[in-house]
Amino acid sequence: MTRTHKMRPAKASGTQTTRFSLALLCGILTAAFLAPLAAQTAKEGAVAIVVNANTPVSNLTLAEVRKIFRGEKQYWSTDLPVVLLVRAPVARERDIVLKVIYQMTEAQFRQYWIAKIFRAESVSAPKLVYSTDMANQLVSTLPGAISFIDARQIGSGLKVLRVDGKLPGETGYPLR
Amino acid sequence: MRRFSFALIVLLCAAGTTGAQSAAPVDEHTETIKTLLARLEKVEKRLAELEARQPAAGAPAPAAEPFAGAQDKPGTQAAAVEKREPAGMTHAGMGQGAEPPPSTFPSLKLSGFADINFSATDEKNVNSGFNLGQFVLHAASPLSRKVSYFGEISFTATATGYNVDVERSIIRYDYNDHFKLSFGRYHTPVNYWNTAFHHGSWLQTTISRPEMIKFGGRLLPVHFIGLQAEGDIPSGGANLGYSFGVGNGRGSIISRGGDPGDVNNNRAWLVSLYSRPARLYGLQIGGSVYRDKITPGPGQRFNELISSAYLAWTRETPEILAEFANVHHSDVNTGRVFNTHAFYVQLAYRLPFTEKRWKPYYRFEYINRPTTEPVLGITGLLGSTAGMRYDISDYAALKAEYRNTKRGPGQPHINGLFLQTSFTF
Repeated sequence: MTRTHKMRPAKASGTQTTRFSLALLCGILTAAFLAPLAAQTAKEGAVAIVVNANTPVSNLTLAEVRKIFRGEKQYWSTDLPVVLLVRAPVARERDIVLKVIYQMTEAQFRQYWIAKIFRAESVSAPKLVYSTDMANQLVSTLPGAISFIDARQIGSGLKVLRVDGKLPGETGYPLR
Repeated sequence: MRRFSFALIVLLCAAGTTGAQSAAPVDEHTETIKTLLARLEKVEKRLAELEARQPAAGAPAPAAEPFAGAQDKPGTQAAAVEKREPAGMTHAGMGQGAEPPPSTFPSLKLSGFADINFSATDEKNVNSGFNLGQFVLHAASPLSRKVSYFGEISFTATATGYNVDVERSIIRYDYNDHFKLSFGRYHTPVNYWNTAFHHGSWLQTTISRPEMIKFGGRLLPVHFIGLQAEGDIPSGGANLGYSFGVGNGRGSIISRGGDPGDVNNNRAWLVSLYSRPARLYGLQIGGSVYRDKITPGPGQRFNELISSAYLAWTRETPEILAEFANVHHSDVNTGRVFNTHAFYVQLAYRLPFTEKRWKPYYRFEYINRPTTEPVLGITGLLGSTAGMRYDISDYAALKAEYRNTKRGPGQPHINGLFLQTSFTF
């Protein structure tokens, strides 16, 4: 009896340990599945500023990004002009860039570039791209090119710029 | 503890087979996540396709030619061709789909501005009625990667026909952002309005220009023929910029530039500085100094020094423009000195409703000229302008304004109603 009595608590303890292990395993597996998903979610909504791989820049402040996209900075270096590629309407990335970088409505954006050319401050407006694929291909091809792309759809051969020291998906990244 | 470790190892090695009851929900989650991701992928693909078709519905017309950089990439070119609108002229200010390859320089782009006006005032001997404003053509053409040409021609209705004027004709060489050198006929950068709006009535909020910088006016030299260096000054967040010009200065008719040559063999020069602080996005402040010697008549010689300053907040909620200028003339023959000063303050606000198409505005302006001033031949001014701008479309506007002006002591107040439609094309 005594022996039997001793065995029962041991069996109960083993069952508890097994349950705990299973719960732990579930936790590990769930975390393993959710980690990439969480990373994806963090990038979701973020717009990456991308440049041609040979462009001599990797980190810009938001003010510098603004200066480039407003056509106020037109040269990366003496021999390398900035080639500005802007997504055509209607695209979510364009909406974010108009809101965060330009802080303009669509109408104000158009008027801004008409005025800029009329003032002889720029010889042409930004080039339009009509899809993420097109933006990916052109930025990787054109020296000095800069554009903005959905952070989840960045192609190979592009350099993703840090904005205010942050990459898309990181906390505090401004373009989202 | 041993049992626990053993159980954990076994479970980790054979998680799928042992404890099947506990693993089942994980598998279900995994499947659900996979299914959702697959569906999300499909939706994104579909969205991308729809977005690619969107420009045909409402976007400004893109260029007819494909990207130069894409020409060696058949896939890219095909995509560009597929997603392009039908070929047609595009406004120079709108996005284009192409960087002209070197073999296609020059690449001329034309745009235009025009306005039609109605005016009615209680000023004696002035008729009310319609008038055709200015018809302006603007040309911009890159001649190479670093050389560009800009031109502006205006057609102004007169009693006997049209007066055609080359307002600007500039060729510019860009070395980099810090140094750009140009030659030609400019709107003198001695004033913000003069270089911000030029002859594009549609660009300016109001119908009329401020009196101090009106076309054909004599207070400030509107045009300048010569050379100009301009660029950014490395200054961090202050975003400083400069321009320095040397040119012929005023002509014998002082409201005109010395287009055919320098009337007194003395070059005018100007320096202007501005700042667009990064922390105050939308703000531009600046000032300039302009120096010339003018000969308004035989035997008359005056030194001219114009100093000016401005503040422009262009975000439209609100929009604030304010400028001040002092025109200093000293008679070389007698030593007498005259100072004429002028300023204006303009406020406007883009209203948030009805798609932000309404913009009420008000401007106060003032000019004080000494009565004995012998050069300018203008009157003083105390004026108020109040009006409303309505943007019919992104490229056309209707404006209505009321003006009340008084030209000097003892002069009557003049009231006027003005209407305008102005547009770009």
